[in-house]
Amino acid sequence: MSAPPLLEVSGLSKRYGGLVAIDHLDLSAPAGAITGVIGPNGAGKSTLIGLIGGALAPSAGTIRLDGKDVTRLPASERARAGIGRTYQIPRPFLDMTVEENLEVAQYSIAPFIGAAAAREEREALLVRTGLADAAALPARALPLLRRKRLEVARALALKPRLLLLDEVGAGLVDSEIDELIALIQSILDKSTAIVIVEHVIRIVRECCARSLVLNFGKRLIEGPTSEILANDQVAAVYLGTGGAHRKAATGAETSRADGAIHVAAPAEERRKLAPLVAPAADSKEPILELRNVAAGYGQARVLKGVSLALAEGEAIAILGANGAGKTTLARVICGAVAPSAGILRIGGRAAGLAPHRVAALGVAHCMEGRRIFSSLSVEENLRIAARGADAATARQRLEAVYDLFPVLFERKAQVGTSLSGGQQQMLAIARALMARPRLVIFDEISLGLAPVIMDKLYEALAQLKQARMTLILIEQDVDRALALADRAYVLEQGVFALSGAARDIAADPRLRRVYMGAA
Amino acid sequence: MPDLGVACSTIAAGVLLGGMLALTALGLSIVLGVMRLVNLAHGEFLLVGAYAGLFFLQFTGIDPLLGLPVIALFLAVFAIPLYRLLLQPLAERGPEAQMMTMFAVSIILQNVFVLAFSADTRSIARDYATLPLTVGPITVPLIYLIGFAISVAAVLVVHWLVSRTAFGRDLRASAADPEAAATIGVDVKSVRTLTFALGAACAGVGGTLIGAAFQFGPSSGAAYLLNSLAIVVLGGLGNVLGTLVGGIALGALQSLGGLALGDGYRDLVGMALFLLVLAFRPDGFLARGRA
Amino acid sequence: MKRRGTIGAAAEVAIIFAAAAALWIAPNFAGDYWLQIGFRTLIYLALAEGWNLMAGSAGLVSLGASCFVGLGAYIAFGVLNKLDAPLPLALAAAGLGGGALAALVSPALFRLRGLYFTVGTLALAELLRLTMINVSAFGGATGIFLKNDPPDLPILFRYALAVALLASLAMTFCARSRASVILRAVRDDEDAAAQMGVRPFRVKLAAFVLASAVAAMAGGVQAVKLGAIEPYGMFGLQWSIDVLTMAIIGGVGLRLGPLVGAVFVIALGEALADYPEAHVAIAGVILIVLIRFAPRGVVGFVANPALVLRRPAPA
Repeated sequence: MSAPPLLEVSGLSKRYGGLVAIDHLDLSAPAGAITGVIGPNGAGKSTLIGLIGGALAPSAGTIRLDGKDVTRLPASERARAGIGRTYQIPRPFLDMTVEENLEVAQYSIAPFIGAAAAREEREALLVRTGLADAAALPARALPLLRRKRLEVARALALKPRLLLLDEVGAGLVDSEIDELIALIQSILDKSTAIVIVEHVIRIVRECCARSLVLNFGKRLIEGPTSEILANDQVAAVYLGTGGAHRKAATGAETSRADGAIHVAAPAEERRKLAPLVAPAADSKEPILELRNVAAGYGQARVLKGVSLALAEGEAIAILGANGAGKTTLARVICGAVAPSAGILRIGGRAAGLAPHRVAALGVAHCMEGRRIFSSLSVEENLRIAARGADAATARQRLEAVYDLFPVLFERKAQVGTSLSGGQQQMLAIARALMARPRLVIFDEISLGLAPVIMDKLYEALAQLKQARMTLILIEQDVDRALALADRAYVLEQGVFALSGAARDIAADPRLRRVYMGAA
Repeated sequence: MPDLGVACSTIAAGVLLGGMLALTALGLSIVLGVMRLVNLAHGEFLLVGAYAGLFFLQFTGIDPLLGLPVIALFLAVFAIPLYRLLLQPLAERGPEAQMMTMFAVSIILQNVFVLAFSADTRSIARDYATLPLTVGPITVPLIYLIGFAISVAAVLVVHWLVSRTAFGRDLRASAADPEAAATIGVDVKSVRTLTFALGAACAGVGGTLIGAAFQFGPSSGAAYLLNSLAIVVLGGLGNVLGTLVGGIALGALQSLGGLALGDGYRDLVGMALFLLVLAFRPDGFLARGRA
Repeated sequence: MKRRGTIGAAAEVAIIFAAAAALWIAPNFAGDYWLQIGFRTLIYLALAEGWNLMAGSAGLVSLGASCFVGLGAYIAFGVLNKLDAPLPLALAAAGLGGGALAALVSPALFRLRGLYFTVGTLALAELLRLTMINVSAFGGATGIFLKNDPPDLPILFRYALAVALLASLAMTFCARSRASVILRAVRDDEDAAAQMGVRPFRVKLAAFVLASAVAAMAGGVQAVKLGAIEPYGMFGLQWSIDVLTMAIIGGVGLRLGPLVGAVFVIALGEALADYPEAHVAIAGVILIVLIRFAPRGVVGFVANPALVLRRPAPA
């Protein structure tokens, strides 16, 4: 009987109020192997790292390291027990040098280590991680890939038994990924276990012997990586639940969906939605135009040159794996992030406006993660979006959204965030519509909604499209988005790898590769 | 054992005073709730209101309590350029820079008071202010009751403003999630400026009331700052009605402390309570977390 | 590991001792006026070094200096009056007392992050002041007198020097030794530091205790010089205000910040001696300007004007 795995997680759960981030998860990682954890956005991957590393306290379950129960230990004690982790967005100690960053870990576990021995250790680590020439540089001066290397080096300085790598592949180009894979493979040894949380499938494919797929905080499937990645169920989780993969909805589910979202026959629905759709401007100008736009956050260059033009009344889908830049694109259009290069025009006007002015131009952004205001009731969340509308108009719009989403009417006096995840999503969509926008960006609205409800929702979106509302759908659920959109753009590492008519993209075999990596 | 009448009077006075203090704390609370800004010059804003009330009386002869709206406006007008010039540019820098700047404003204001008005203690002397009001065994100075009534009215007005108007919606949304609020179309910068002005106006009105009830001098601000902080903590950050409850609670507890231990212990009880609540209610605060 | 432009730890210690030696013999040459100024500067320096340790190293912005200055003053008087002990013993007791109080309140205080910590220290200082006013055993509002005459100015000057020396050496140790990276890690990113095995609570506690002990000793020396103390003076917020002003003007977290800040504030006070009322207001204006345009204080500005005039680089 072989020794128990180095890391053993049993029944791990994490709840935030009503939201379950991790649901009775079991995971084991043996020493001498690299285990992968993959899953779509919102599946709980980073929460898992936080729970194992000690930054988050679990609501239930146990975590054992080498047989010892570490569940109740704070992060500092887990680090001393031999758990090293990196952060998804690197957070080195910016005002300290690379070497000093390593010293923090060294002196924590061995305060009286001899100066010479410590220096040797650091040099060896820096050489291994390719940072030897940067030893005296302040961490702030390092570009993204080197900061990721520093994260790894710093974790290694703890002499960990278990190394947790949190999405180290994000934001890197192909050649950098090559280097990263080489690095990961080189640090593996018999007595160390490595757990990689990733959405760059290539890294998982080339590094991890076994992988586990997380979906909605639960374990979907676990096994040898090559099998996992070829599995249709896994592909469905990533690419969406629409089309042939969907199992037939039961009567109960359908009627629940009907109750949640109310879509009448087309003509009637169009009439009902009229208060929410801005009249067409009949202008020759594209309502939205991007030319070679680049943008990012600090060191990370996320968008590297994207161009698109959107005419009034069109619906486009923006697809792509996580970290590809979809939400950054939305934020650039809405003015929350300033482009570092390129031209952005909204309704023919040059951009460079603050977000509230972009909103006044008629752009509504149904933000990723919903962002419902916790200090406002459901109805207030809706009313606040109807800027500049008089009482009668606001009432008209409210009636329209209440008709579409009856559950919002039922709960109109409740605090916005007391609704379930799916209901909050409906509230977020309704809120975007309350502004009577010319252009709506729906950012990842399929997260957290059951497939049957998603069907109804997309029926409603189809009606909006019929009413000539301009839509941008940023989606993980590829099938649904392509069914509704006229055209689609696929973002990969900051540029549009594919673009064209939606049905052409849907049939393109390269689409699956973008999400699942090379076969 | 103090005589029952005296005891009841003291407690009643404490409650009324607490209500007055609630108004002064209100400004601090909403600014803290919306902008995460600890206005260390809050006590001095109170004093601006007190001095304004004094000079309003001197120059117009009108009772400053009737001139409260003017004083409120004056404070708001004073606060807006202060925010735009000094605090707005620091908005991206994290709470310490703004807090330190308000700290500097506080010492400047104290100095200005000394230079302009001398270090003497003043008070807004009105004949009726010291008239005692006797109801049964309870006797309190009339001004306490008037001040309490005005305070409660003002708190209710602010509560209405925050919970029932469009501006109040914008304010609460900006407090909860400024980025989402901006995306929805809220001009967050404007909201913050107006919130700061509202906070200053509340402080000013509260200050005038305090000035009518008590003596004040250039250095009286610090004690009121700490009292206000205690009330904000007790009532909950950004919670308008909670501030009223917190104020009354503090006032009552202070007088109980004074009765039980001696008059000098009033403030002490307040401080001790503040520290206790701070120490044992860590979840009540929005810690500067970095998730 | 040295960076260009900085000196080694040994050199720094040598410089501090050399300066101390020079100042030690100063009373033989200098007149009373300069000894008075020197005394005040040294006391302020000690307080500022302690504050800088807490804020610049561990990220704790304290407005509670008054608390420990006052405590040290009362403990020193208590020991001197009741036990007839020699002054060094009284100061040691003051230091111990300050450290003990810091250790006592830290579990509660450290639960507060950022500006709530700052507010908490302010409240603590005020609480102690109010306690002292009311408890007659400690002299109440009138305070207490020193039983015997205080020593002469030259001797007191040397005591102040000793406390300042202690503070500077402690700061050098923290800035130069291995402790330095640990402290800075806690300041920069407490959670990431914890993930690296650092125990932030203990680190903050150590900084707080050390700074408080130094402040208490400084308070003791100041008290002895005054000969009589009362709560408004010794626990007055003026101490906290002055320390904060010095620290910001000098430059938070910079090694020379406290020295430059202390000298600057004392010099400003002397320059405006004829206009005592304006002196505080001017200090306030300087603070505002510095916070806005030179967030790293005078030292930071002088060291690299380009660096601080630019907007801070994104992380």
